[in-house]
Amino acid sequence: MANIEITESGILVATLRGELDNHEANQIRSVISSSIFTGQVQAIIWDLTALGFMDSAGIGLILGRMRDLAPIDGETIILNPTSTMEKIFNFSGLGPNIRHSSVDLVIGEIGGVLHEQ
Amino acid sequence: MNNEMTLSFVAIEENEALARMAMTCFITPLDPTLEEISEFKTIVSEAVTNAIIHGYECDGKSMVTVKAQIVGQKIVMTIADDGAGIFDVNQAMEPMFTTRPFMERSGMGFTIMESFADNLTVESVIGNGTVVKFEKTFSPVTEVSRMR
Repeated sequence: MANIEITESGILVATLRGELDNHEANQIRSVISSSIFTGQVQAIIWDLTALGFMDSAGIGLILGRMRDLAPIDGETIILNPTSTMEKIFNFSGLGPNIRHSSVDLVIGEIGGVLHEQ
Repeated sequence: MNNEMTLSFVAIEENEALARMAMTCFITPLDPTLEEISEFKTIVSEAVTNAIIHGYECDGKSMVTVKAQIVGQKIVMTIADDGAGIFDVNQAMEPMFTTRPFMERSGMGFTIMESFADNLTVESVIGNGTVVKFEKTFSPVTEVSRMR
């Protein structure tokens, strides 16, 4: 299950709950992609604080959205994964995108970067 | 404690969650840590998803069969399908290899399974299906950590 919000500065915050597997990823993908293609999204924060489980489908989902954002150099942040999820992200080279923080602090971090541009 | 089970279900995506739930219940008596449960669920999820998507292309009628055996603190498990089979198992097990990039499969399934499982083996015959077998040993909970 995903709750999606877009801030005024164009940061999409995807709050995921429950279990993110292949079935669930297919549901979430279309919703997020359509938001990105409206052109108002500059960056994505994946808030995994309340996510109980994720397998490699989560990697596919996040890498796919990074590809969508690549033309505009959009940033991707993965927030508060569990230690098992963190291992999976590290296998896939997404370790540098992980933060253990809060949505507000990460929005501040990305917002600062956006203003500098 | 020793125990044994078999679970079969048709190839639809919804059954990925069924397999994870059933297997989590099955290992509960071993008193696994949260980390161990979550690694174990991930292995099951990857293998079952492969069977459903790649083995049977979500056909909704072919059966995936999961067998598990608990021997002491160890689980021995197989996930089997009679589907398409894997053309080149070594290639399939390389990180980032996927036959379905357009479906956003990450190609990390086997890498994750191998990292979280003990003694993972994959046997596959084109047109005859695939069997993934692995073991995982759960650390016995000590009296000290039980009292925390």
